Amino acid sequence: MAVIGEKLVKQLRTTGVKSTVAQRLDDAFTRWNTGLTWNDVRGVLRGDPPAKPNPRVKPHTESFWYHIRPTFYHEAVTTLYPTFRLGLLSAVFFTWEIITGLFLMIFYTPSPTAAYVNMIDIMTNVPFGKFMRDLHRIGAEGMVIVVTLHMCRTFITASYKKPRQFTWFTGVILLIITLFLSFSGYLLPWDQLAFWAVTIGTSMADAAPLVGREVNLLLRGAPDIGAGGLLRFYLFHVLLFPLIGVVFVAVHYYKVVRFGISLPPDMDAVGEDTARKVPPEKRVNFLPDIATNEIMYAAVTFAVLAILSATVFAAPLENHANPKQTPLHTVAPWYFYWLQGLLKIPHVIPFLPGADSFFANGLGLTPKVFWGVIVGPLLIAVLFIVPYIDPNPSRRYGDRKIALGIGALFAALILYLSLAGRPLGVPITGFGYVGGDPAVEVGQHFIPDEGEGVIKEMSFDALVPGTYDVIGTPSSGSAELDKMIEEINSEISSRKANADPLGKIMPADAKGTVAIEDIQVDLRKFTLFIDYTDAKGAPQKFEKYIYLHKESGYSH
Amino acid sequence: MLKKIVTFRPSFTLRILTGLVAFLFMLSVCTLTYVADITTTLSERDLQFRGRLIEQGARYYKDQCARCHGPEGKGIDGIAPGISNENFLGQVEFREVDGQRVIQQIKPSKRLAELGYKGTLRDYIRSVIASGLPIKSSADWADPHPPFLDSYGGPLRDDQVDNITSFVINWAQAPKPDGESILPPPPGSGGAPKPTAVPLTADQEAGKQVYLKAGCNACHAIKGVGSQGAVGPNLSKIYTLSAETIASADYKSKVKDQPASTTPEDFIKQSIHYPNAYIAPQCPTGACPAGVMPQNFKDTIPAADFDKLVAYLSMLK
Repeated sequence: MAVIGEKLVKQLRTTGVKSTVAQRLDDAFTRWNTGLTWNDVRGVLRGDPPAKPNPRVKPHTESFWYHIRPTFYHEAVTTLYPTFRLGLLSAVFFTWEIITGLFLMIFYTPSPTAAYVNMIDIMTNVPFGKFMRDLHRIGAEGMVIVVTLHMCRTFITASYKKPRQFTWFTGVILLIITLFLSFSGYLLPWDQLAFWAVTIGTSMADAAPLVGREVNLLLRGAPDIGAGGLLRFYLFHVLLFPLIGVVFVAVHYYKVVRFGISLPPDMDAVGEDTARKVPPEKRVNFLPDIATNEIMYAAVTFAVLAILSATVFAAPLENHANPKQTPLHTVAPWYFYWLQGLLKIPHVIPFLPGADSFFANGLGLTPKVFWGVIVGPLLIAVLFIVPYIDPNPSRRYGDRKIALGIGALFAALILYLSLAGRPLGVPITGFGYVGGDPAVEVGQHFIPDEGEGVIKEMSFDALVPGTYDVIGTPSSGSAELDKMIEEINSEISSRKANADPLGKIMPADAKGTVAIEDIQVDLRKFTLFIDYTDAKGAPQKFEKYIYLHKESGYSH
Repeated sequence: MLKKIVTFRPSFTLRILTGLVAFLFMLSVCTLTYVADITTTLSERDLQFRGRLIEQGARYYKDQCARCHGPEGKGIDGIAPGISNENFLGQVEFREVDGQRVIQQIKPSKRLAELGYKGTLRDYIRSVIASGLPIKSSADWADPHPPFLDSYGGPLRDDQVDNITSFVINWAQAPKPDGESILPPPPGSGGAPKPTAVPLTADQEAGKQVYLKAGCNACHAIKGVGSQGAVGPNLSKIYTLSAETIASADYKSKVKDQPASTTPEDFIKQSIHYPNAYIAPQCPTGACPAGVMPQNFKDTIPAADFDKLVAYLSMLK
């Protein structure tokens, strides 16, 4: 039986201590670097050309992490165009979200009674807490942007064509996973923003024919979002969606190794794909060129996100979720504005209100169900089949005028619907505008139910207690308050002069009053009154107020 | 230019350098954030959220508590005691200790000592809001404090009860003088109903029944009589109040569609039959709302009953 260390003793005896240590260190180093010796790694770091046979190919067969990456790329795809590194960045963001998410998970309990308290704790008691939350949030929004751009790029360079149809297919799954990840995370802070955005989102499921009620119950755990819904969304967010994401990222990556990154469209003959047949002189090895390149892009992305989070970006946190009070102008997250825009289409066939009753009676189809539940998901579903219905074998821009045109139209449509999804609607056409009574809109403009607002951000000392008429030249004793009253006055005047897209106009006799009261030490109440006579000649008094504490610091 | 950008390929050295610089930059941003957090920003944000929660508390207080405890927490006679006074809250002060703001109690709560409560003032306020009081603590109040927390059958969530507690405690920096507030009787002393000073005559007793039957107490309150409404003026001393009102300039200038009353009895009659002739300025929860009181009492209360009601109200001095 061999004695432990027998070999070492033998080596020490024959070659001496110094040589043995050097030999052993070199062995360990080589093992750690999956077959690259110290000299090989040194060559990599110095940018030397590889020896022959190239030792840097070895890790791709020896190591898990290298084997999911190609051994070499074609020179033509290592410039900024055609990939713009968007695929890599998507993966970088995914990793980033896992790291920051794990940190946040430590301090979070998915329960309606604890979640919001946890959020405040993360912001006020956990060093790095707010920073990590901002990073996680900015990463989530960035990921939606980057993944979408990655898809656009792939469409424009026609990289979805044979043999990459299935790569595209998994890519669309990953896009949906990205949206769902972002959306499911939206609920977790359990504030008003979260609660109502997700209530709107899941009410889509409720509207679905036949299975709507069951799907809704499955998602929310109850008819309304509550403890069950929060726990489910949490589990979706931290377990189910990331798991599906990891699986499909693996498939997606495997396809890249299998087929290579498609060359710029004009480099291949029509119908051919030579991404894997790279002549030796055109090869750029993964080690060290691609690896360093990717590390550089990842590092720069991380640095940019960190700087943004530490300076200008702040993840919003509104008031505690209140199922009994819907804030005015509640919206879905911005990447679902297009869906909300679809829901605002008033008739099953636009501009043909008469057809509605036909669809409602014959098929039980309301405009909301048709546009939101059928057309909305269909717009995403159509992405899946793009590679299978595009009959054009050519990837060249000149040969794909129709496909690119349809793509541009699709993008324009999504953009238009997104604009319509906002409470303000589309700028010129006014489609999607959902404003209420003009006085209510003025109130919402200055004292929104939730979120940022100009009155909130005034300095506390500018709120001099007293009652002030809203006029063009106020004299409240504080320049900042004067300016605010002027702004309120010009908002009221402009609503008197111009009707909103729904034709509602502020009555000419509308008169604003601002009252500021001291409630407690360092606590004041700002009230905006608007008195006017309504269309029936009855006097109306609109009132909206907000309490402001000296320390609450909404402006910073 | 565009071609240069799209065909951009950084050299090996540039890649290593950029990556390294970006990485170090990120590390320093993280370090700076950490240092800022543990030295100042965390405690600043703590104060910010404390302020924001008090703002929320003020909102819920206005919606839920002000109708009994009054908008300024001074209490309403016959309904609820004041909770913004020194007797209840004591007094606190913010002091700077090692650069941190800390709350220091400079006067303790007399009420808590009187009750022999073992917890803190915050515990007491929070628990009373949350679970209410199981029994009437004194005959001074119409009803015991109801529970407000949803798990005890109330309308509010945990966080809302917390916010209201923070708002109420925030009065302790400048508590209202005890003299301006309704103070609760000492524990144990308020158990028995107080004897009425003057026994009611048969007519007045009948008037009291008219008061209850016509549902006046849904909006008004008379100390110790039926349930206690807080929409309209408190009628516990309505005769005295009427006498003061008809003497005031405000009444003389604002009374409309009806002649100005000259006697308190006339004023009481006028106010029941023609509620909009004059809107009283002060109700338990702020300015009195106009047009709320039903205008058909002159049809629904028979003349004989009406005289008894007026006789009853006129003895409330």
